[in-house]
Amino acid sequence: MNVIGELALWVSLPVAIWGGALAFIGGRQNRGDLVLSAERTVYAVLALITLASLGIVDTFLNDRFEYTYVASYSSLDLPTFYKVSGLWAGQTGSLLFWLLLLCGFSALAVWSNRSKNREFMPYVVGTLMVIQTFFLVVLLFADVNPYAKLGFTPIDGQGLNPQLQNYWMTIHPPTLYLGFTAFTVPFAFAVAALLSGRLDSRWIVVTRKWILLSWFFLSNGIVFGMRWAYEELGWGGYWFWDPVENASLLPWLTATAFLHSVQIQETRGMLKVWNMGLVLVTFILTIFATFLTRSGLIESVHTFAQELKIAYIFLGFMGALIALVTVLIIYRLPQLRSSNQIESFVSRESAFLFNNLILVATTFAVMWGTMLPLFSEGFTGQEISVGPAFFNRVNVPFGIAILFLMGVGPVIAWRRASKKNLQKHFVVPTAVGLATAAGLWLAGARVGLSVMTFGIAAFVLWVIGAEFWKGTKARARIEGEGMVSAFWHLVMRNRRRWGGYVVHVAIVIMFTAFAAAPWYQEIRQTLDPGESAEITSPLGSTYTLTYEGLSTNFNDRDDNLAWQAVALLSVRKDGEPLPPMTTEKREYIRPDRSTSTEVGIRSTPVEDLYITLADVNTRLIEMRVNDPSQQTATFTFMVKPLVSWIWASAFVLTIGALIGMWPGGAEVRPPASRPASDAPAPAPAGD
Amino acid sequence: MLFAAGILVILAVAVLVLEPIVRGSRASLERTNDEMSEAEATRRVRLLALRDAEYDYQMGKLDEADYRSLRAELAAEALAAMEAVEAEKGGGPNSRVSPAPDALEAEIAAARAGLRDGTTCGACGHGNPAGSRFCASCGQALHLSGSTSA
Repeated sequence: MNVIGELALWVSLPVAIWGGALAFIGGRQNRGDLVLSAERTVYAVLALITLASLGIVDTFLNDRFEYTYVASYSSLDLPTFYKVSGLWAGQTGSLLFWLLLLCGFSALAVWSNRSKNREFMPYVVGTLMVIQTFFLVVLLFADVNPYAKLGFTPIDGQGLNPQLQNYWMTIHPPTLYLGFTAFTVPFAFAVAALLSGRLDSRWIVVTRKWILLSWFFLSNGIVFGMRWAYEELGWGGYWFWDPVENASLLPWLTATAFLHSVQIQETRGMLKVWNMGLVLVTFILTIFATFLTRSGLIESVHTFAQELKIAYIFLGFMGALIALVTVLIIYRLPQLRSSNQIESFVSRESAFLFNNLILVATTFAVMWGTMLPLFSEGFTGQEISVGPAFFNRVNVPFGIAILFLMGVGPVIAWRRASKKNLQKHFVVPTAVGLATAAGLWLAGARVGLSVMTFGIAAFVLWVIGAEFWKGTKARARIEGEGMVSAFWHLVMRNRRRWGGYVVHVAIVIMFTAFAAAPWYQEIRQTLDPGESAEITSPLGSTYTLTYEGLSTNFNDRDDNLAWQAVALLSVRKDGEPLPPMTTEKREYIRPDRSTSTEVGIRSTPVEDLYITLADVNTRLIEMRVNDPSQQTATFTFMVKPLVSWIWASAFVLTIGALIGMWPGGAEVRPPASRPASDAPAPAPAGD
Repeated sequence: MLFAAGILVILAVAVLVLEPIVRGSRASLERTNDEMSEAEATRRVRLLALRDAEYDYQMGKLDEADYRSLRAELAAEALAAMEAVEAEKGGGPNSRVSPAPDALEAEIAAARAGLRDGTTCGACGHGNPAGSRFCASCGQALHLSGSTSA
């Protein structure tokens, strides 16, 4: 299997080059046979890369430590579960996995367009194959071939980093990669539209759907990463403005901007260059994200070893892409002229425009902060890096502004909105928002920006609720339907708009949870068995945690553990007993004998009680001393209000995105058949 | 054994990829007739904008004066788009004649009525005589209750 896998990896390179060349030649010469052959290469490369990936999984499952990659990321004792996910645990494997997903999406794009959008397909296939070729060249020639061998066979491997031995490991990277790689398809369509000169509404329809799909995966991938950090890293946070976290946020921001501004292009024929730019930039930012992770140029919790060779290859590729798309856009500029102008400052178009400006400004701010260490080192020789404080100071105001626009956008009409109507719509929501903020302030919440966020969140939720209510009423009146059926049809006939509102609700929930951060409580205390610590929640209740003792066990080979020391704590909230909690230190069976901490979390909708075993005498544990008087341990206790809302918001976001993406319904009906829709005029779909 | 498997993989890929060139099978490179043309897309966007304005008005986002002027503009744009569709289809001499302004209202009303009683085709929008089971234009099966077919 591994030999076939390696062979498949090598064979796929000429096949991909053949496909890319033939697609472009076929497109230029209008040769259907060449294009069909090129389309077949997409399926062929998918099959070959699947073989190559299965080969790697096979080497993991069979403990083939003569392969460098397996020796570095696996060991005899590693549970099977993590051997399979070894495919994306390290540098080289994750590049192959990235390519596998890219091939999967490419094949899906070709298959779903086998009988439509044919005029684009030669260039779409050509672009996809060029990008696949790039990743293949990196894999085969940049010292990151997952099939590279050590030259000898170690008895055991290095084992997997303990922090990766967590179930989120099997969920977070694939979801994130699905998001990243799916952006390649809209990029290919954008390039195809530019190359073929078919810049009418068609490419934007295809692109929009793919961007929404990628955005959905990327959003969930980011939230899963936050959850992983929260549950595994033990510092109690979920976002650290780490360079690689930022790198995943950048394409998310530009894709979010596109999902909004594309509606202006569809309804008003404006912002064509801008939208084209956003699609291209979003894809380039996904490549940038891989570059940042793979090159190790910037210090991060995610980086693999620093690889200058791969860094230069990625930089060259990004440079070539940027040059190419810039030339193409300039060449097609005459066809990308706006067919309309914004009529009024107070219109939904201008609200969307503000939203875009803020999102792009945020992109720049995050990019700047992320790249500063590299720039400063390059120009001054001194590496300057900015911490979370910088990112928070810059981005919190942007976030609040975006939140505010979520409440403004839905209420104002396209093209023009009269001031009188605006007043009528804003009086109640504004009152609700102000009352919320004032109430919280009086109740003792004295953090200006947070209280402002809570107030605006209430304002936005009220606006969205009212929008659903008024929309249902309007539909009931126009169509003469009952309220329930009017509501159902309202949402189903324009899934994009109403699904979008549900996503907005998710973002409001998430931002509300972020705004609770100033109230996070933390104490660190050293306790002997039998001693207690107290921590007071910002909402007034007091938790009493009593350290009951440490239990240890050794050589749990099923879990790949050398030893495990579990601290048991009984918990009382205002004197009422709660179920006890545990937190532990572990040493994994690995040559470097690294330990990790498992946190204990008691999560409620109101707040999380988060405990970690910060320090314990591991030497005594290893010597198997079982004496309670020597089990002194240091704990960190934290109370974190509203954290579970972040995870809840991901569910709401998923529901909203699914409503928006669900095929059929409003999106596939030609005009005459769906006059009852209240769509903000989505362009034709049909795919 | 391994060698044979390797050869098999390479052969399979070669056959799959080269077959179209050797046998001359072709992929289509042109937009097909059943895909929406740009003029139809524009018409659809205009009609939907008109509908959107109606909702904005009903939900109190537009006041009456704004709504009337906006609707007049949108109706004119929609008419132009409909003419463009007619011209594109290259119909008879009638296609050049611009329909009366209320033709648009009539089209929306007719389409809405058609959708309700199930005679407007959900796939192509063609209006069929009452009692039709299949669309006369595209052959799609017609739903009995159009309002739930979306």
